[in-house]
Amino acid sequence: MALENNTVGTGRVGRGVVGSVLVGRLGWTLISFLSLLVLWAIVAAVLQSRLFPGPMEVGEKLASEAATGELGYNVGVTLARVAVSFFLAMFIGCAIGIALGCAKGADQFFDTWLIFFLNLPALVTIILCYVWFGLTEVAAILAVAINKIPNVAVTVREGARSLSRDLAEMATIYRFGTWKTLRHVTIPQLAPFFAAAARGGLALVWKIVLVVELLGRSNGVGHQLHIAFQLFDVPMILAYAIAFILVVQIIEIGVLQPLEARVNRWRR
Amino acid sequence: MKRSEPAIQVSIARKVFPAIADRPEHVVLGGVELTVERGSFVVLTGPSGCGKSTLLNIVAGLDDDYQGTVSFGKDTGKLSFMFQTPRLLPWRTVEENVLLVLDDDGPDAKARVAEILSRVGLSEAANAYPERLSVGMQRRAALARAFVIEPDVLLMDEPFVSLDDPSADSLRALLIELWNRRPTTVLFVTHDRIEAVMLATRLIRLGGNPASIVQDSGVDLSPDERLDREKVLAWRGRLFENA
Repeated sequence: MALENNTVGTGRVGRGVVGSVLVGRLGWTLISFLSLLVLWAIVAAVLQSRLFPGPMEVGEKLASEAATGELGYNVGVTLARVAVSFFLAMFIGCAIGIALGCAKGADQFFDTWLIFFLNLPALVTIILCYVWFGLTEVAAILAVAINKIPNVAVTVREGARSLSRDLAEMATIYRFGTWKTLRHVTIPQLAPFFAAAARGGLALVWKIVLVVELLGRSNGVGHQLHIAFQLFDVPMILAYAIAFILVVQIIEIGVLQPLEARVNRWRR
Repeated sequence: MKRSEPAIQVSIARKVFPAIADRPEHVVLGGVELTVERGSFVVLTGPSGCGKSTLLNIVAGLDDDYQGTVSFGKDTGKLSFMFQTPRLLPWRTVEENVLLVLDDDGPDAKARVAEILSRVGLSEAANAYPERLSVGMQRRAALARAFVIEPDVLLMDEPFVSLDDPSADSLRALLIELWNRRPTTVLFVTHDRIEAVMLATRLIRLGGNPASIVQDSGVDLSPDERLDREKVLAWRGRLFENA
């Protein structure tokens, strides 16, 4: 019986099957999403509370906010902050991670520093940045980046520690030089670690940017949520939350996943 | 450039592996004096673990923790090393792997890569990623990479080990062909005596503890005779009679 299953299994590997699996997955996602929506509508209908609006009401709010341009503007501002602090944190974090992974002495020395910053609460960094540098854009970006850098550094350090000595020797023999070695030998080996850091990083940066905006900026999704909170405007809070989730998902599916697939195309 | 000037001069007084954990310090090589003539195919052989690969790594400059000197003659700076494993970059195609060791990637370089790939029988696999190829094909790619830069000195560390006999034989024949087409100074490490006789113009045996050179003999066989099993076996008998 087991043998029979095996045979069927091998025979099935093909383009068509991959396609139908994808459709199946999409179908399931749709069913799962719709059932969540229905559940929400039922609960809202039962509660009949101003503080628990149903999907229709939130949808209308989403549409009206989008129509005035407020939604697009604020999501755009937040997106820009996310992008700048994300790339800043990735760049600095990767540099630190590679340096620590390659130099044992530096790693031993700075390990404690890293643990300190890793465990520093995000809120503390944000407050201190605003106190020291004022309620400015630079302070906001810096606060987000500082929160993220240690995570990136730790992940990339793991990768740099496991760099292949065999390939490094090969690069030495064939005189690759620094730049060629970095581009063709080192960075491809670190790619999975960059990807892991980017993925975890984006999830974290999104959330911290909102807090930073809530505490010290006058635009962006975080600021809108702040206003909505003061007015107890729950439809507005949910409308922005949903818009936000949609944007994150689009970036995940449209940018991160294709990028990962491309980087991994050489794997068997 | 004088023809008689040696390509490599090796003089290693002592090479020590430092003590690790509960294993004591170990003197691997002691008093190894070796002069390699230009264009010779020198095979280093000896029991496994005797320090052949260590010697090769020292010559390659990958290991500089030893007492002694290694010097190269004029115009012998271009080095290739074929390792025990192919050491190809898995994220680059076969063609890219070979192209990368050249200084530029212009049309001339690409033509050279295409030529060497067709010579080792990998034209059709040029755009494949190494991990999708058989081990034998990966070694062919490594061989192409070693030869494409037209090295002055070619170092090989048991490059055909753990291959099945037909694959190893065809790779050896390929190596002989490439070497005849463009003779270069080769230092080849192996513990396979038949392989040693097939390839060597000069055969050096390491032995003892610490290891030094215990035998140094010429192997006078024509290219055709090297592919003749009877001749090779006869030479093996003669060279290793007191081994």
